[in-house]
Amino acid sequence: MSETTSSLRLGQAVPDFELETYEPATREFGKFSLAEQKRKGRWTILFFYPADFTFV
Amino acid sequence: MNCDIVTVSTDTKFVHLAWQRSEKELANVRYTMASDPTGKVSRMFGVYEETAGLALRGTFILNPEGKLLNAEVNYFNLGRNIEELMRKFKANMYMARKPTEVCPSKWKDEGDATLIPSADMVGRVHEALKGA
Repeated sequence: MSETTSSLRLGQAVPDFELETYEPATREFGKFSLAEQKRKGRWTILFFYPADFTFV
Repeated sequence: MNCDIVTVSTDTKFVHLAWQRSEKELANVRYTMASDPTGKVSRMFGVYEETAGLALRGTFILNPEGKLLNAEVNYFNLGRNIEELMRKFKANMYMARKPTEVCPSKWKDEGDATLIPSADMVGRVHEALKGA
């Protein structure tokens, strides 16, 4: 069974979350934090895709 | 621009590194590549496909307060239109600065016609769009 139900709603705040990252610009590993984005006052575009080494 | 583009898949950061360094199409990539191996964040956004253990092609725009302003999800086999994504992003940034205005479907960039919803516009959207 596929489970894709989300509790998020348009117009509502997304709960804070963090993800480990690779930063091609600096060739370093890093961390993405929504709380940090809010502190810095930056917009975020999240772009989900199925898997590396496939077409995007 | 005051925005960060973050791609997310269930691959680890090590796989992201290997893919970005080996795939010539990605040689000039500057955006952040995030890793969601447990699917926790993908589930939160409703794009985790449990059977495959992979994230669907979901795109989400969050404003600087972390509020979700736009959501679009395509199944695995359909690519996204980046022009439309950028249109929606620019429109959201514009409306954040001009909260009384709304961007109609044909709005593409700063300077294009917007609408200011009011009682006067009810039944007169055609005239408003034509600038009458």
